[in-house]
Amino acid sequence: MKKFRFLSVAALLAVSISATAMAAPMNIKVATDATWPPMEMVDTHKKIVGFDIDFLNAVAKEAGFTVTYKNTAWDGIFAGLESGKYDAIISSVTITAERKKKYDFSDPYIQIGQILVVPKTDKSTVTIADLKGKQVGAQIGTTGAFEVKKNPGVELKTYDEVGLAFEDMASGRISGVVCDEPTAAHFALQRKEYSSKFKIVGAAFTHEGYGITVKKGNTKLLALLNKGIKAVKAKKIDEKLRKKWLR
Amino acid sequence: MAQTPNTQIKIEIGEGAAIPVKSDAGLFTAWRIAFFGAILTCCYLAFVKPDPYLEIFRFVPDGILVTFKVTVGAILLASIIGLVAGLGRISGNRIINGTASLYVEVIRGIPLLVQIFYIYYALGRFVKIPDMLSAIIAMAVCYGAYLGEVFRAGIQSIPKGQMEAALSLGMTRGQALRQVILPQAFRVVLPPIGNEFIALLKDSSLVSIIAVSDLLRRGREYASETFSYFETYTVIALIYLVMTLFFSKLISLMEERLNADR
Repeated sequence: MKKFRFLSVAALLAVSISATAMAAPMNIKVATDATWPPMEMVDTHKKIVGFDIDFLNAVAKEAGFTVTYKNTAWDGIFAGLESGKYDAIISSVTITAERKKKYDFSDPYIQIGQILVVPKTDKSTVTIADLKGKQVGAQIGTTGAFEVKKNPGVELKTYDEVGLAFEDMASGRISGVVCDEPTAAHFALQRKEYSSKFKIVGAAFTHEGYGITVKKGNTKLLALLNKGIKAVKAKKIDEKLRKKWLR
Repeated sequence: MAQTPNTQIKIEIGEGAAIPVKSDAGLFTAWRIAFFGAILTCCYLAFVKPDPYLEIFRFVPDGILVTFKVTVGAILLASIIGLVAGLGRISGNRIINGTASLYVEVIRGIPLLVQIFYIYYALGRFVKIPDMLSAIIAMAVCYGAYLGEVFRAGIQSIPKGQMEAALSLGMTRGQALRQVILPQAFRVVLPPIGNEFIALLKDSSLVSIIAVSDLLRRGREYASETFSYFETYTVIALIYLVMTLFFSKLISLMEERLNADR
């Protein structure tokens, strides 16, 4: 009898422990630069929303963890990851060879390209190279900025936020802006104040995969993320999100 | 009620570095250690670890030039604005006085960072001004208010008897101001203007937020591409340090000159 009681207590204990373990799934802190609509932005209720946010929430649900978002300026977002201020970055981060040397990336979760936006008054420009001797803006440290730099004779102007680059183009200080296709569409086509002023030139001229960035060697989190991404893709949730955010 | 102390203690703190004065003959002053230490550290880093330090030193020089241009341009423009504001503040005319005072109060109540954003993007809505000029205007409008107060204090520090004497000699108020008061006041305000210059040099790093390619932005561009944040900001900090210490010394030499022929 006594033995049985002990066993039942032990069983109860084991159940309760596993229950608390299940009640509190792993929480990961994720940084995002919410100035990159429609991928990540702050809505009127001061909430961080966007494709990336919905996507990672879906991944978290599939893989069984929770996410706390941290709005972080792009310039220095990688430094914060290195110093351990957060566990991962989801911020339209293109997987590049240089970045891969320093950080680890999840499997790519969406394919996107860089595109050029110019004022509507500009009738002749087709590619960045046509803007020789002029200033072209991009957000600091983005693949858009790296693309502009590849064109000799075109002066790159870097901004802390891509929105400031568009505002500077609206006031005529720069002749073009290079950024990710969805963001370009958001600023040049959907924003009321800009849609009459800007146009997108040609098609995307790069093919880039976005990945979730983690600290080098954090294989545990990486495995968890990849598991979630696989499940989300299998359920075609990402296609639904694409329709919701990227029209 | 708390008792008020009998003696009033005045604390004066400059924006610049602690420059060794001639009477302080010690070789190891804070200024010398900082200045030569910074230069030696730069050389050491570039020599021992050329990657990435030498690369960074190659990347940023045009940024130093921009920082320098913005600083000099802004201090010149700010001196003009400051002189007008300062004269306005001591003017007997109510409207002029009120306008100048309002300018000083409003500008000094807004953070410089906010002003730079505001002037840059607000100006952009109405007139097309190149970025560097906008940055200079933004800095000058802000520092003009501070310099206005410096000029006002400088002019008011000249004894009243000087003006009265000039007027009794038959000079008009304007003549007296130009030929008697301002030359003397100038000597008084030069040291504080030097201080403001140093402060402006440091604050000019704020213009990097409006995409002017100054020293700080060049550094940030380098860091954002190579991810060597620590190394880059070490170099940026050292360059700023050398610049401010150099100009502090220059200004103190100028002050010494002024005092020598007094």
